[in-house]
Amino acid sequence: MRRNVIILSAIAVSGLGAIAAFAQSHGGGVQSQDVTFLGQPVTGEQIALGQKVYAQNCASCHGANLEGQPNWKRRLENGRMPAPPHDESGHTWHHSDQDLFAITKLGVGGVVPGYESDMLAFGEILSDEEIAAVLAFIKSTWPERQRDVQARITAKDGGGS
Amino acid sequence: MKDINMTTMAKYSTRLSRRAFLGAMAAGAGLIGLPFSLRAAPAAAGPAIAFDGDALIRARDTLSRSDGAGGWIELSAPEAGGIISLATHPARPGRIVAGLTGGGVALSEDGGHRWEARSQGLPDAPVTAVTVAAAESDTIYAAIRGDGLWKSEDAGRSWALAMDRPWLADAERDLTALASVDLATGMGGIWIYAGTELGLTRVPDCFCRWQEVQPGDAMDALASGQPAPSQAPLPEGETINGLVSAASLPTRLYAALPSGIWESQDAGVVWSQISGTGALAVAVHPTNADRVVAITGEGLVESRDGGANWTALARA
Repeated sequence: MRRNVIILSAIAVSGLGAIAAFAQSHGGGVQSQDVTFLGQPVTGEQIALGQKVYAQNCASCHGANLEGQPNWKRRLENGRMPAPPHDESGHTWHHSDQDLFAITKLGVGGVVPGYESDMLAFGEILSDEEIAAVLAFIKSTWPERQRDVQARITAKDGGGS
Repeated sequence: MKDINMTTMAKYSTRLSRRAFLGAMAAGAGLIGLPFSLRAAPAAAGPAIAFDGDALIRARDTLSRSDGAGGWIELSAPEAGGIISLATHPARPGRIVAGLTGGGVALSEDGGHRWEARSQGLPDAPVTAVTVAAAESDTIYAAIRGDGLWKSEDAGRSWALAMDRPWLADAERDLTALASVDLATGMGGIWIYAGTELGLTRVPDCFCRWQEVQPGDAMDALASGQPAPSQAPLPEGETINGLVSAASLPTRLYAALPSGIWESQDAGVVWSQISGTGALAVAVHPTNADRVVAITGEGLVESRDGGANWTALARA
């Protein structure tokens, strides 16, 4: 019995290692099957695309490591807020998939009239698939707790993560 | 248009500076004029008021407590300085949180008799408003004049900046009142409402952005793409001196304004004036949303029917 447990554990660990290696080779920090976007499972290819899109379009403001701009809680001279981090230290994971997609595509000002932000409306720069991929990549970097909380927020918003 | 804005800004700047200067002068003169042994006791600047269960804690000239029929007893104010803001939580009877004129927060666990400084990490500036998170009684928010909104998750033992001040009419505005409102934001948390010298604002407790009060939750506002117009907002441009949400009925808000006491039954979308006497601070009973007390220009008043009728409360 004890031997069977050990063998099963070894197989499980090997399997997890293989999955992790696969995900890592495709750019994600976690197994892609743990990540969904708008209710759909995310593939390793999507995460890899998202990482590339993030580096080219988002990292200049939100940080190469998703760390946000320095002192991001302090308002800029122009009254606007700096780009927040997208890692667990920020508030991105408090927004549903639907919100994140809308804000990325339309810009904050596009969904909240009158709100002034330095965030571009990426709908004219990226395709819907690229926007979904970059958000999937961001989600793939979150620790389990943040992903669970964000999944519940998305589900309440009717998105079913 | 630009000229008008600049004029408006200049007026506010002048008013703020003058107020801050006079306050500092008064505090300084008071300290110098007192014998050293008495300096701690009378430093309760106020005006601020809060319920502690059925009891009332009031900072107005002195710090005092009323447990009902027994009248008012005078309490020793925190050694750290005068109180300008007070907060309590229904789940923590006896715990009083005080924002101090000279900067920092003091906390009492025995109904206001003994105080302990809980200021480590906070900027050294007046704490103009405090509130305890409705869903987390160890989470305290403090508004720091000239700085921003700070948060402690361990009853004030450590603090971290939560968010900068709101940007209203082309400038950052200090918070004059704070209320944790136990209503879902749609972002996994609840709201923090705040008063400013220009009116009401609010922020989700994930701190993504200050925003106007709108019907429904933040999701509705995002989905609709249009802010639903408030049907009866508070008077435009008026300072909010005090703001509370009833713990037993979070949609019930009371606000203390120069124009009087105002009530909302729908979390701040529609407001109605329930008293025309200028008010400086307001508190609502933890289990009875209709029982409200306020410090007004004419003294301490109480209503037990949601503001339909008011009676004067005897002072200490």
